[in-house]
Amino acid sequence: MTTTDLPLPAPARHGLRPGPRAWAALVVAEGKMVVRDTAGLVVPLGLPLLILVMYGISDVNTVVVPGTGGRTVLDLFVVPVVIAIVVGTVGVVNMPSFLAYYRRSGVLKRLSVTPASPAMVLVAQVVVSAVQTALGVALALLVATTVFGARLPASPGVALGVLALSAAAMYAVGMLVAAVAPTPNASVAIGLVVFFGLGATGGMFGDVSNLPEPVARLGEALPFGASVQALGDAWAGAPVEAAHLVALGATVVVCSLVAARFFRWT
Amino acid sequence: MDAVDARDLTKRYRRRGGAVKVAVDHVSLAAAEGEILGILGPNGAGKTTTVEMVAGVRRPDEGTVRVAGLDPFADRAVVRRVLGVQLQSGYLHGALTVRELARLYRTFYATGRDPDALVELLGLEEQRDVRYERLSGGQQQRVAIVLALVGDPRVVVLDELTTGLDPQARRQVWGVVEELRDRGVTVLLVSHLMEEVERLCDRVTLLDAGRVVAHDTPAGLVAGTGLDQRVRFRTAAPLPPGVLDAVPGVDGVEVRGDQVVVTGGGDLLQGVSTALVRAGVVATETRLERATLDDAFLALTGRPLAAGTTAEKATVR
Repeated sequence: MTTTDLPLPAPARHGLRPGPRAWAALVVAEGKMVVRDTAGLVVPLGLPLLILVMYGISDVNTVVVPGTGGRTVLDLFVVPVVIAIVVGTVGVVNMPSFLAYYRRSGVLKRLSVTPASPAMVLVAQVVVSAVQTALGVALALLVATTVFGARLPASPGVALGVLALSAAAMYAVGMLVAAVAPTPNASVAIGLVVFFGLGATGGMFGDVSNLPEPVARLGEALPFGASVQALGDAWAGAPVEAAHLVALGATVVVCSLVAARFFRWT
Repeated sequence: MDAVDARDLTKRYRRRGGAVKVAVDHVSLAAAEGEILGILGPNGAGKTTTVEMVAGVRRPDEGTVRVAGLDPFADRAVVRRVLGVQLQSGYLHGALTVRELARLYRTFYATGRDPDALVELLGLEEQRDVRYERLSGGQQQRVAIVLALVGDPRVVVLDELTTGLDPQARRQVWGVVEELRDRGVTVLLVSHLMEEVERLCDRVTLLDAGRVVAHDTPAGLVAGTGLDQRVRFRTAAPLPPGVLDAVPGVDGVEVRGDQVVVTGGGDLLQGVSTALVRAGVVATETRLERATLDDAFLALTGRPLAAGTTAEKATVR
């Protein structure tokens, strides 16, 4: 038999790929999965608020940092940390746990026998994670500004850009976690260890100047620390250090490539 | 051209320690357009591996697959639109409801069937707003069938489609397969249920230990093994010798006390009954037993099809 021998009407080749409706439906489906996983929402929405409140009730909003137009430690350090926590928990812990579950349970395999590619689920998860991140950041900023008197960034455009780059970096780390984790449980465990490792060296538990110098330097080169520093600069209206942007950009590239190399669909 | 044409499919697995197990060994199968082809065999025969290679889920180590004339790997995008697949191992988004899943999967196809109508057709109307993770195994199975059909495929692979279903749901699903036949859909039906295959399939490929042992119609498989019918009955008084000897189709008569077993072919029951009445023999508990695919499988391989089924001795001469 040859493939040119087609007594059956040849299936049309146009419209082979699922269209915008399928993309939209998949994003909505992933959104429902995330929203209905109530426990999974506690960490990215609750943990940052908890950290914010713990700092907020101390004196951080009275300590003005000189040369920043009257901005306080709350503005320049606590709010960036809180934003980094939102981005990190969504990207490094939550997203890979869904992807690992999809792989383990056979969802990706099932999708691979439809015109939809399992890669569409990855993209949809990233979109939903971005929405989740936006909501978490908005909620944290709302509480920070209304309850604790925090101020918005001096360079809002730069802050948004840094936020987007930070999110990309954390999602790339998350993809790497999803790629290497053998089971959903392992994914959560690896994700949490990575997240707390990045956080601890990046200022999540206090000023990095308290850390040993090499650890602080390392943390600053990792996505959490780099995000905190770059966001702090945006809040102060200071130029963002190129090293931090390079660190975030490099994380995006390296983690994405390694994840793409090792990602298993089944 | 056949709607499904698989030739010499071979799949090997490397076991721990380096030994190679051949799960599927040069299996060829073909289903004409509109045909329902059964793939029957005991557990571990390689049925699932075979259809997963046909569906383009697993790459064969050797051999070729054409679905509607296309290679499922090279022409993945086209094949995905015309091939519906229900896998044993596929799971779905657990927090989505039956209706949400059906509608989601419908969006993957440019043309297809009404998802809500399919949910109803598979008897899931009451569960349509229940999350997938909260469904029973049988209900999840039926959702999988909905999703295999929602793109209105021309070829469908159904792997153990009624496993875990109660008898009523099973008959309902059989009805759905018969509806597919009416629509001219080609079906590859993996099963270890003889009854299911005899009822639904136009032809059957019998697999055992990774190889094709026979390929024929269900009736042809049974007839080909030379197994015939048996009529069993009890008599109040001992059967007079010679009463059944002249009955057309009778090959053998075995008397064990008051129980009589007549083997033969043709219209055996009618012939035996008439002869008994003429001879004035009162027969009770008369039963006709026909050879089944189970018997055919036993005769072909020396093993029963499904563990636990009491395949009766093939010959009682």
